[in-house]
Amino acid sequence: MNSETRPHSSDVLRPRNVGAAIKRTEDPRLLTGRGEYSADRKPDRPLHVAFLRSGQPHARIARIDTVAAQVSPGVVAVFTAENLAGDFKPVIPFSRMPNYYATPIVPLATGKVRYVGEAVAAVIATSRYLAEDALELIDVDYEPLGALSRAETAIAGDAALLHEEAGTNVLIAREFKKGDVAADLKAAAVRVSGRFEMTRKAPLAMEPRSYTAEYDKRRDAVTLYTSSNIPGIVRDAICESLDLPGHRLRVVAPDVGGSFGSKGSLYPEELLICIAARKLGRSLKWTADRLEDVSSSSQAFAEIVDAEMGFDANGIATSLQADVIGDVGAYSIYPWTCGLEPVQVVSFLPGPYKIASYRGAVRGVATCKPPTGPYRGVGRPISTFVAERLMDLGAKALGLDPLEIRRRNLIPAEEFPYRIASGIIWDKTGFVECLEAAAEAVGYEQLRAQQADARKHGRLFGIGIASYAELTGIGSRIAVAPGMPINTGSETAKITIDSTGAITAAFGVASHGQGLETTLAQIVADDLGARFEDVRVIQGDSDEVPMSTGTYASRSAVLGGGAAKHASRILQDKIKRVASHLLEANQDDIEVLDGKAVVIGTDRAVTFKQVAKAVYSDMKTLPVEAREELTGTYTYDPINGTTAAATHIAVVEVDPLTCFVQILKYVVAEDCGRIINPMIVDGQVHGGVAQGIGAALFEELVYDDDGQLLSASLVDYVIPSAPEVPAMDVVHIESESAVAGGFRGMGEGGTIGAPAAIANAIADALSPLGIDVSILPMTPERIFKLMEQTRLNARGKADE
Amino acid sequence: MKPAKFDYVAPTTVDAAVEALRAANGEGKVLAGGQSLLPLLNFRMTRPAVLVDLNGIRELSFIELRGDRVAIGALTRHREIEQSPLIASKLPVMAAAMRHVAHLAIRNRGTIGGSLSHADPAAELPMLSLLYSASLSVQGPSGRRTIAAEDFFVDALTNCLEPEDIVVEIEFPILQQNGWAFEEVARRFGDFALASIAVSVRRGASTIKDARVAVMGVADTPLRLKEVEGQLRGIAIDDQMPDRFSELVTSSVSANGDLHASAEYRQHLLGQLARRAMQTALAAESDRR
Repeated sequence: MNSETRPHSSDVLRPRNVGAAIKRTEDPRLLTGRGEYSADRKPDRPLHVAFLRSGQPHARIARIDTVAAQVSPGVVAVFTAENLAGDFKPVIPFSRMPNYYATPIVPLATGKVRYVGEAVAAVIATSRYLAEDALELIDVDYEPLGALSRAETAIAGDAALLHEEAGTNVLIAREFKKGDVAADLKAAAVRVSGRFEMTRKAPLAMEPRSYTAEYDKRRDAVTLYTSSNIPGIVRDAICESLDLPGHRLRVVAPDVGGSFGSKGSLYPEELLICIAARKLGRSLKWTADRLEDVSSSSQAFAEIVDAEMGFDANGIATSLQADVIGDVGAYSIYPWTCGLEPVQVVSFLPGPYKIASYRGAVRGVATCKPPTGPYRGVGRPISTFVAERLMDLGAKALGLDPLEIRRRNLIPAEEFPYRIASGIIWDKTGFVECLEAAAEAVGYEQLRAQQADARKHGRLFGIGIASYAELTGIGSRIAVAPGMPINTGSETAKITIDSTGAITAAFGVASHGQGLETTLAQIVADDLGARFEDVRVIQGDSDEVPMSTGTYASRSAVLGGGAAKHASRILQDKIKRVASHLLEANQDDIEVLDGKAVVIGTDRAVTFKQVAKAVYSDMKTLPVEAREELTGTYTYDPINGTTAAATHIAVVEVDPLTCFVQILKYVVAEDCGRIINPMIVDGQVHGGVAQGIGAALFEELVYDDDGQLLSASLVDYVIPSAPEVPAMDVVHIESESAVAGGFRGMGEGGTIGAPAAIANAIADALSPLGIDVSILPMTPERIFKLMEQTRLNARGKADE
Repeated sequence: MKPAKFDYVAPTTVDAAVEALRAANGEGKVLAGGQSLLPLLNFRMTRPAVLVDLNGIRELSFIELRGDRVAIGALTRHREIEQSPLIASKLPVMAAAMRHVAHLAIRNRGTIGGSLSHADPAAELPMLSLLYSASLSVQGPSGRRTIAAEDFFVDALTNCLEPEDIVVEIEFPILQQNGWAFEEVARRFGDFALASIAVSVRRGASTIKDARVAVMGVADTPLRLKEVEGQLRGIAIDDQMPDRFSELVTSSVSANGDLHASAEYRQHLLGQLARRAMQTALAAESDRR
């Protein structure tokens, strides 16, 4: 729908932009190479940073010799922990959680190294080439302390300690309880259990992490351009660490080429580049190469879950318990802590199901690997994988269809709001509606008939269902990460009409590919009464709003959108007040539409430009007290947040000869509340499912027993490409949420549902062979091994 | 990830290129399509003093029929081979294999001389050069000489060339065949093969008269299975033949394992691919998949 064909009269139903598949404002520049990423900044004579990274998994740094590097051509400075000691305070990823040890974050490894890839020294030179040449001249004496490469062994009493001060390698331990699980399991008619694992995964944004620190001599100030999705948090943390007021450290996230969580924490390199820029009084640039990005950006999953579920004779799940070991890597991250990923596994394990009793215990264990951090879905990809596998195992044991067992256990409409064991409250959401819609869209009954026929011909054909719920748009009552001291519950919008009549909407949220420049403008256009194309959105700039955090945890449509609605209304009221003077009409008789204030039912109108002129320029038109600055600012807090849910159904076939999995059909039925832009929602679902396919079938960071990363390049770290991602159907259930605008967050769901749905489909396909799926990714190698084992077992039985 | 310092020369004749390599005293490296070399340079896994860029030597890019052989210039791009009607009609196994060579963008730059010289054990062209008994024409300081493909591949990523040698062209004999197949399994379309096999047969009414078999992705170099070829000669063509062939292949090869596939899985794949390849090779042309 373009602006010419959009209806103009005021009697049509509003809103008119929200809900429309408007093409993304940002795409023309991003798709034609006119975007501006951090690495595209061109400060005056910048210097380039290169990091010497540890090749040792765990070692004491006995000595670092930088003499030769310092005199290498082009080198301006070489930094190690020693010569930065007085320039910053360590950043502590604090949390009120008991049984948690916060490992300090420092710019360069201090005293010892704890994973392969950790930055040990930084060379600053006139080019990246010369900086990398100088890296080769730095000599580090390491005294190896023994790699901690597996969480299970790092727990053992005799294991070396990665952080001696912590006194243990268990950096976080937590337990949630509801009811009497032991008794309920004992009383259960059917009990199913398993040991489930999702291996370590790389978020792998297309743009590697990239920072440009621009030094302003005049004010001894720094502007950090960072490929971050939390520029506000980065600003506050670095200001605290460097003891700078916020007006001397501006942090901007310009165009950002994806994050998926990997750019959602504070990084040592961000600290280093700001410290070095100030020490040298020069602008500095650094962009990770792919190897650095894969081996030092935060990683995902790496959990083993022992879980058991009990059912009564009617197939109602009565009880659930789980013990989780999370391999959280070498450090806790700021601000989310190392508890973020593993604790969410037990927080969300009961999912959208009504389960009477629950016990979930988790230990996050330090190992010699990069930290795990936020990754699209956080904890829920594996909690959904485990719960949905258990549901299918229960269905099998009870002789129920997987669809039917979910019908019996999903929280029904009349029981919302529903509080699950970990304290999470689901508001009214279409759990059952999503299940039914997905089953209908995929043609479930017919598929089962097709499967029966395929099995007769020996084909390994499987159907997998996964239902999940997630908490999005979280307000101030709930911390995004448990016990965290920073406020993640509010966001500010500041909408201004300037003296030329131009509309600028500034937000603290930041876009790393979500299309917020478009969706936020859609909301402002509707609620202010402006034309979509006249609204300029500014985001990701710490100078634009007093406080902000960024975009994470599926919050920006809800929080940014809510702030946009309220700020728009405040500004619209001001416009009406001015217009009532100009049009000599009662305020209540004026409506604002398409950039004009109109006396309802007449052709009398003033444009925003005329309103602006009256307020700012023309000193005769308005009485002084009516010249209100045309600005609306609002900080929105949804208090609790809102639920989002979906059901995914995957249909797969396993080739018994090659052991490859082919996805034949894929359907998502999702409830993200009121849809702002259906094209963007579909795109988010498609992208999320593609990443979920990666988690289910392809992607795995392999560390050997010596802590070395074996899959460090994109030759060895295999991600799905276009031919591996099937066409998918997306069905939308638009049940409006209770937050402003009725939105729900939806950027992460695709990655939450897909691994579980595909795992269940593979298990269903292989069930004639008696094979279960308990680890992801299900690579051809793993399927081969399972099928071989089955062949061996069958042979063994035949021999008996 | 920036390369160490190197000098760059871009000669326009093969003679000048060889001279540049000679002058580099064993520290020179030839740049053709750059699809493998540039990552190696950027990782600093190879650090030549001089990079000799062949891309300006026009005479190295051609595909031509020479009697019962097809000659291909070393600088000919994969994409040109993939799209050549001459290759399609005279070297159909190669034509079928070319679309498995990486991705289009890589095929647009990558060259046959570069692929053979790089000697990746899971790349298609080295295996095809064995299947066809290709001969490589190589120029060094003392002139041109010919090296048989079966002598060319020494180890993984290692050929038998001297530092100042350049592959200039490759001749592929046209096979007398009435059945053939190329099969490959890779994690994703365009990836290096987990296992692959190429088969060419000349069959009579009821027996195999002659056969050629080459495999890759399972050992440090591609392999020509001459022993299996001998066992196939005169063998009766019946329904069990593809199974027997599969057994012959797997018993003559002991696959390597790596991060992507264990030895057992590669061995399994090779057996499956061998069966499928023989079924295809024996199928009438009209039944080809």
